[in-house]
Amino acid sequence: MYQYSDQDQQLLLERVAQFRGQVARRLKGELSEEEFKHQRLRNGLYLQLHAYMLRVAIPYGLLSSDQMRTLAHIARKYDKGYGHFSTRQNIQYNWPKLEDVPDILDDLAKVEMHAIQTSGNCIRNTTSDPLASVARDELEDPRPYCELIRQWSTFHPEFNFLPRKFKIAVSGATQDRAAVAVHDIGLRLIKNETSGENGFEVYVGGGLGRTPMIGKVIRSFLPKEDMLTYLEAILRVYNTLGRRDNIYKARIKILVHETGEDKFRELVEAEWEKIKAGGLYLKDEDFAWVKGFFKDPDYELLPDNDTEFENLLLSNTDFARWVDKNIELHKQSGYRIVYLSLKTAHQPPGDVTADQMDAIADLADKYSLSQIRTTHRQNLVLSDVKLQDLPALWEELKALDLATPNYNHVTDIISCPGLDYCALATARSIPISQAITERFDNYDFINDLGDVSINISGCINACGHHHVANIGILGVNKKGTEVYQLTLGGSAREDAAIGKIIGPAFEADEIVDAVEKVLSVYLENREDPEETFLMTYRRLGQAFFKERLYG
Amino acid sequence: MDNYIKDRKVDSNEWMPFTGLEDGDSLPTGDIYVPIEEWLNARETLLTRNGRLGVALRNTDDPAIIKDDLDRLDLVVLEFPKMADGRAFTQARLLRERYGFKGEIRATGDVLYDQLFYMQRCGINGFELRDDQNASHSLRAFDEMTVTYQPASDEELPLWRRQK
Amino acid sequence: MALQVYTASLLKEGLVAYLTLDNNLPSWTTDIHQATAAIDDSLEALKKAAEQSEQDNIVVAPYAIDVIKTDSGIIAATKREQIRATGPTIELPQENIRVSRKAA
Repeated sequence: MYQYSDQDQQLLLERVAQFRGQVARRLKGELSEEEFKHQRLRNGLYLQLHAYMLRVAIPYGLLSSDQMRTLAHIARKYDKGYGHFSTRQNIQYNWPKLEDVPDILDDLAKVEMHAIQTSGNCIRNTTSDPLASVARDELEDPRPYCELIRQWSTFHPEFNFLPRKFKIAVSGATQDRAAVAVHDIGLRLIKNETSGENGFEVYVGGGLGRTPMIGKVIRSFLPKEDMLTYLEAILRVYNTLGRRDNIYKARIKILVHETGEDKFRELVEAEWEKIKAGGLYLKDEDFAWVKGFFKDPDYELLPDNDTEFENLLLSNTDFARWVDKNIELHKQSGYRIVYLSLKTAHQPPGDVTADQMDAIADLADKYSLSQIRTTHRQNLVLSDVKLQDLPALWEELKALDLATPNYNHVTDIISCPGLDYCALATARSIPISQAITERFDNYDFINDLGDVSINISGCINACGHHHVANIGILGVNKKGTEVYQLTLGGSAREDAAIGKIIGPAFEADEIVDAVEKVLSVYLENREDPEETFLMTYRRLGQAFFKERLYG
Repeated sequence: MDNYIKDRKVDSNEWMPFTGLEDGDSLPTGDIYVPIEEWLNARETLLTRNGRLGVALRNTDDPAIIKDDLDRLDLVVLEFPKMADGRAFTQARLLRERYGFKGEIRATGDVLYDQLFYMQRCGINGFELRDDQNASHSLRAFDEMTVTYQPASDEELPLWRRQK
Repeated sequence: MALQVYTASLLKEGLVAYLTLDNNLPSWTTDIHQATAAIDDSLEALKKAAEQSEQDNIVVAPYAIDVIKTDSGIIAATKREQIRATGPTIELPQENIRVSRKAA
């Protein structure tokens, strides 16, 4: 992974000192709350329903085991012993005190971590494929590009006071595990069939929130040398023309929509022409330098089978289920990718205790080259586990309650913190996710349903990504009561789609039944078990489901 | 004191904003700056004066409209109507980097301590601080951070190419 | 007008707090039961004290909420404020309950 230079480290220390000064000025009253808000938000510090919340950046979802231990230490020393992994592959702490935050940042800086630009109207943490560099369907590792974007966007002087927040995702594989079509900018690595060179398909103007939109391809092939100049051109057009009169119309998706895709493309291309040869033009030496940080480890040459593993697979049903659901093939023979499910009925989706974090760090050291990845579906990944180690790892994960066999299945629910934590929320989401998880906590049922996603948001800002779930749940407040709308047919993958509201909202005590009904409509009407929920829904249509749900 | 910083020093502001051109025949003496409309309407008249001249852009103006006039101007005034409105950062970079303006680029409006670092990186070198800000205390803001990743008006190359 | 109390977040800790006026001396408590509830005209004194506390950098963003007096004390009228007063409605993740960390 990327290793900080002295200058990277100096920047972090200077930033901590600066923020310490800002906190001191605020506590002394030299900064008003309104002014301080702009500063604290640029450093991931919100004031939430019950307390401050600190969001710590995990660049493109990659963590070392030592970084994970620091996250555990912070949870224990400054918080209530747990943290929450977010859909931006970051981690959030729910209870820090303002006066402790500079010390937390000091501790983070010791392991090359920070909270820079994890909120505020600036370029946020760039997200990526949690299976980067190990997936079999990968064209090229996206992380070196993410790192260049990280450096380019960090304290970018021109783009630190944008009309609204700005999110970039990069994917390098056939399957889209980074949801590039629902980002302000999505970059998808593709091969130019004529030149044989890799470059990017550029999506702009995707996003969720109040006005969900799928991004438009504004350039079908961008040479990789031009990545940063092109991003700078897009951001400059956005900073200049993005709406600032209405916070709900300020995202770039609205600019693209109102300007028109073609006109917007013209504006970007015209600006790009003027800067494409500038200092951000990327040279071979730049790629060579940054790719040096992401070299493949020295994998052992191993056979792709193992007797102990195969015996346990035959003799132990629980193990076989876990392997079936939470293990992915690795590009390297004899290795596997392991998903750590953060979705149990016992803890809110994405929550991890400090003890679990420490234990995960130990497991990463022992089994997976000392690295951990976070996913936008709020799970963790050990990316380089030897096939022969799977039985032992499984035993340890079971003891940690991290081996629920449900990855990409119905109880692998994305949930925002909702009204239990969030100052913006209008309804609770965690209790609903827990109720659904309890209802469907049955392996055979989960297995039979196959690939299906449920996402829950506690307000229309859609942090729980409900629009792009096969089954989305949106909590709203109706005359003082929390009610829940169902949307069906969304997808965050390469076939990205925005789900549609199916009908009137359900009360909290009806919503789980409604979800169960939708699932049973699918089970009763699918052509065969190979037809997924989304395929059946697309074949039969919204009206078919609506009639059976409300009829 | 004028609560004004120029080239990282607390300074006195010698420029007068002037908008009354249509009201009389006599042009004011001294250093004045005028809104962009007056510049476009009365460019030739204004150029007959002896004092230095500046133009104030709204943050919705494309700086390209004055690009051919820049060698006759000593000051371009940009506005930050509120802290969160960052359009003038782009205007400043275009004036400095694309159109090669060598005079003063001045930030006015909600000009606060914590933005100075970003402003100077975009080529702004004059700062009319908001009334409640303390100019001499604010000088520290320029040096709080010394490492910069990306090219801007103060750096041609990204850090990764500078440090090799 | 409904019975109301003033609430805000404590600047240093960020925690939810409620205003108590004791002989016109303001203080902030995290316990809604100890809040001073008022109605109509007498709310003005609370408002003043709350705004003063904000200026004094003790609290952030004070506002009035509707409350109901019950036998067991004051409760907030809305679900949101009830959750603010009593904390998340879910069980928080707990150390050392289901997870027994093994010695490495």
